Amino acid sequence: MSAKAASHDSHDHHDDHADHHHNPGWLAKYVFSTDHKTIGIQYGITALLFLAFGFYLMMVMRWSIAYPHQPLPDWMGWIFSDTWKSRWLQDGKVTGETYNMFGAMHGTIMVFLGIVPLGFGAFGNYVTPLQIGAVDMAFPKLNMVSYWTYLAGGLVMCASFFMESGAAKSGWTNYSPLAGFADGQIVNQWLAGQTQWLIGLVLLITSSLLGSVNFITTIINLRARGMTWMRLPFFVWAMLVTGFLLLLAFPPLEAAGIMQLMDRVAHSSFFMPSGLFTKADGLADLAGGGSPLLFQHLFWFLGHPEVYVLLLPAIACVAEIIPVNTRKPLWGYKSMVYSVLILGFLSFIVWAHHMYMTGMGSSVSTFFQTTTVLISIPSVVIITALLISLWGGSIRFTPPMLWACAFIPMFGIGGLTGLPLAFNLVGLHLHDTYYVIGHFHYVVAPGILFGLFAGVHHWYPKITGRYTNSFLNHLHFWPSLVCMNVLFFPMLVQGMAGFHRRWYNGGDAYLEKAADSANVFGNIVREHIDLNIVMSYGAWALAVAQIPFIINFLLAWKMGRKVENDNPWDATTLEWATPTPPGHGNFTFDVAIYRGPYEYSRPDCDKDYLPQWQVPDKNARVSEGESEVAASKDTH
Amino acid sequence: MEIPYIFTPRKDTGLVNSKIAIWLFLASEVMLFGGFFSAYVYLRLGADYPWPERSLPVLPGLINTFVLIASSVTVVFAWAALKMRKWRQFQVYMAITVACAALFMVLKGIEYYLKFHHQAVRLHDYSIVEGHLGYEKEDGKLVLDRKGHPIEENMIRIKAEKISFSTKRYHAAWVEEMLAEASHHQAEINLEADITLVVEEGKPAIEIAKAGAPLSLELLNKIKDVHIAALAHNSQLRTVALREAWKTAHEANPGKKDRELSEGVGIDMEALKPSMLGEIPSVTFVVASPVELLFKPRDIKEGPSSSTLRDDTVITGKMEDSPMVFHYVDAIDFQWLVMKAEKKGIAAETAIENSWLMKNHDFVREAWEWHLKQTAKKQKALNDRYGFKKDGTPVRVLTEKELYRMGWKDLAEKGVDTKGVKISGFDKLKEEFMGPNYDARGNETFEELSVPRDQIRYASKFTPSWNNYYAIYFTITGLHGLHVIGGALVLLYYLLFGRKMYLSNPEWLANRVEVGGLFWHFVDLIWIFAFPIFYLM
Repeated sequence: MSAKAASHDSHDHHDDHADHHHNPGWLAKYVFSTDHKTIGIQYGITALLFLAFGFYLMMVMRWSIAYPHQPLPDWMGWIFSDTWKSRWLQDGKVTGETYNMFGAMHGTIMVFLGIVPLGFGAFGNYVTPLQIGAVDMAFPKLNMVSYWTYLAGGLVMCASFFMESGAAKSGWTNYSPLAGFADGQIVNQWLAGQTQWLIGLVLLITSSLLGSVNFITTIINLRARGMTWMRLPFFVWAMLVTGFLLLLAFPPLEAAGIMQLMDRVAHSSFFMPSGLFTKADGLADLAGGGSPLLFQHLFWFLGHPEVYVLLLPAIACVAEIIPVNTRKPLWGYKSMVYSVLILGFLSFIVWAHHMYMTGMGSSVSTFFQTTTVLISIPSVVIITALLISLWGGSIRFTPPMLWACAFIPMFGIGGLTGLPLAFNLVGLHLHDTYYVIGHFHYVVAPGILFGLFAGVHHWYPKITGRYTNSFLNHLHFWPSLVCMNVLFFPMLVQGMAGFHRRWYNGGDAYLEKAADSANVFGNIVREHIDLNIVMSYGAWALAVAQIPFIINFLLAWKMGRKVENDNPWDATTLEWATPTPPGHGNFTFDVAIYRGPYEYSRPDCDKDYLPQWQVPDKNARVSEGESEVAASKDTH
Repeated sequence: MEIPYIFTPRKDTGLVNSKIAIWLFLASEVMLFGGFFSAYVYLRLGADYPWPERSLPVLPGLINTFVLIASSVTVVFAWAALKMRKWRQFQVYMAITVACAALFMVLKGIEYYLKFHHQAVRLHDYSIVEGHLGYEKEDGKLVLDRKGHPIEENMIRIKAEKISFSTKRYHAAWVEEMLAEASHHQAEINLEADITLVVEEGKPAIEIAKAGAPLSLELLNKIKDVHIAALAHNSQLRTVALREAWKTAHEANPGKKDRELSEGVGIDMEALKPSMLGEIPSVTFVVASPVELLFKPRDIKEGPSSSTLRDDTVITGKMEDSPMVFHYVDAIDFQWLVMKAEKKGIAAETAIENSWLMKNHDFVREAWEWHLKQTAKKQKALNDRYGFKKDGTPVRVLTEKELYRMGWKDLAEKGVDTKGVKISGFDKLKEEFMGPNYDARGNETFEELSVPRDQIRYASKFTPSWNNYYAIYFTITGLHGLHVIGGALVLLYYLLFGRKMYLSNPEWLANRVEVGGLFWHFVDLIWIFAFPIFYLM
């Protein structure tokens, strides 16, 4: 029935309208492509590979936490050569230094190389121009440069694993003066892991600058006829806000990165205070007079908007998937749009809530506490709107919908556990504990990643012309859901008990002389340390649970069930009006938009959805409202 | 497929794509430079040392300001010429714009060059000496190193007797430098003792190198390879042994936790010994006839009898007298010393009287006394002009900088005042650009000064490492300079290769030039902010 309805559209776009003007070679078509869809796929696959690598680093860390006395098993350590292991492991055991290295790179890779490129780079690139009815991005070549700069930045960072210094070890936040001193023994500072991290970062920021300029220009100027602002799918709004966050929040971190680079290679003291003394070198041979706090300010000025750069693409995916699968409009579309705009603005003035314990002053803390509590309002509006969108819908539990449904409560846990952290007073207790780790991993892993998995399954049929396998998806989804909670919930418990986030041996060192009154952590560590093993089992199981996804992702490309038509989900937004997969130039008809993005189950229509691009029928049972009539007039 | 709105603006937004993009890009740039300017404010407000105010020559900066503003005007004229379809006029204005950019960079380059060759040193009592370093001389002639360069008198000299390299991480360039220096002095560097190691499991030890073998990179690399291979082998053995030990322990004590067993689980090193390979963490060479090696102060932690390089190479041998010698001192600065003294409740005059410089160098004392007279005169002039408050204190007083710093202009004035040094008007004008003219004023004005190594707290050229004022100055102006170069290259491209675009669609080139011009204005704007905060405030 629905297949019939889709093919009933006034435009026939079944013949392949791939680019007729020129026939690019393999290299130009798949590698140095300027087509936003190819670039999106490149972003997606690269990001998924980086995510897998970041996951691997985490498993090594979790081994060290759960079994600090045992050598790393061969099934984890085979990646590295014996020489590498003799340098970085001690009798096969993970050392504190190596743990720090893996920790710093896990964070960096997951945030900068995994999730942002997957959310913004892959989905943003593929879907945004399609949804606004554009032939491509406004600057296709810039788009290509953006991807290659990102890849170069990522490879530069990861290559440092194999340098003498090893990769960066000062946490993903890279605080000075720790980061300023790191790898100081390396004579050629340009070849130190910490320096490579900064160079990689500058490349990544360049990439995201090019990307965000491109996205915003595209959204402002390349919208199809009739695609007014309030007819934009929520996805596009989220991308617009994400673009602005990247555009404006990243440069201060670039400034900080350049200054730290100067500290390292030109021996300046931007972030190095007077009188620094190390056991190895005595008084540091530096001018001093700098401010470590300045680095933190500049870092978190990016760091907080960055959280929303991670989050918004995931919410955007979920907001597209829910209306399609509930067959009803997105509840509160306008309030979601306004919320996301307010969220974007507020995210610029909450950064110092990461810095309550730095001694920056109580009045400053109070200000940031207030703004932090304020920002929860638009977030809750969005999540509530998504929740209410489910209400009364006849939900189809398609593969993407499973993930979207899990996203809401999982992100909810992540968000709500963040509320206590907003308060200075609670921050005293919870700062730098596993509670913080649990909180943001709930946001990022079962939250954002679930949203992005939903996106993968939702747009997979458009990209490949085939569905992903539902059974394999169930095999991926349910264990993942369980394991994520096994992995992250105990972190909240440990954190409230005071477990510090940077213990490389999981607190094991505190067990000696646990009864000694000078050892304030001894007894409390003994009560909760076994959770480490539970969490690590969660992590191994989670790794196994990803195998069905990998199989599904690869096999469905060639062997999945073919889609029946160009609009397999019976959706209303424009990406489904293109051929499958869309050719160069995307659309095979002159695109015009007649209505809002989520016209599902209108009582005045025969079928349960009314695509944005469908020309209003003059003989319809009920006239379609004034605005649509006006729009259709414009097109003549 | 064609991207719309490249030449003609979209109706509802009224903009072409490139214009939106450049404004977004500029917004991003504002945030980038905003980060740097905020850092400037933050560092200056939080400085725990006297912030160097107005310490750059204003004239070149001022000229650069006008040059850049002029180029901003001509780029608009160039754009207007395109709009009027006057190609020739466009070429002229665009050429002027690019020429202005080049002039700007030349002036900037001169400024940088002078800074990079100007030395400063902070003594242990926080007094600061600035000036021009001397070069090593013998009988009035410059001593040249083996490459033919004069040797700056700021090197650590060590009479090396033994050199121990860390096998894991010696810096190849330094090894080569030592070798070249030794052969220059006809000295030999030879291996101290035989290296005999087991390199294959179960086989007897073999000789890797004999005592007396000359130092070479190949030899070091060979030893390093042997060492690394042994480390990999041994560590793998220990790993397997530890894993076995854990397995046995778990089987013997089912249900017990790791932490309850960890004390009893270990590697039986004795059992492993026969399979282990020989490791050699460091290797020592003897310098046959001790040779004097020179090191940059930043590369070495010097000690009286042994020093350590940054790559963990240990050099045994006496450190010789390695003073820092200023050929021309052009500033003595007591501001920081006074700041520190006042915090401790010591009067400024007492602290200065007791400073190392005053006690050891007569010319400093002489200059200081002259300076005191000058400041008294200046204060009197202020009193005469502005009078006193009701409580008898003067309305206006001299700044800390005027009171406690003798800059090159003060010293030059003193030279004229007390020694009758005269220089030509042209030289004076040149000084406004290039700073003190050492040749014309000579040692009568800018005297020589030698600072022993043990008096130095921190020393640097006037580079980002001297203090955060110079650090942020070089960072902002350096980044601004890169923007000038980048912008000028784009404008130059339009000038040289824009003809084709112009002929195909003049509006196309006009749009491009407009966008390039917007960026150019931004570059100008950054300088408008940078100039006052670095040169005037």
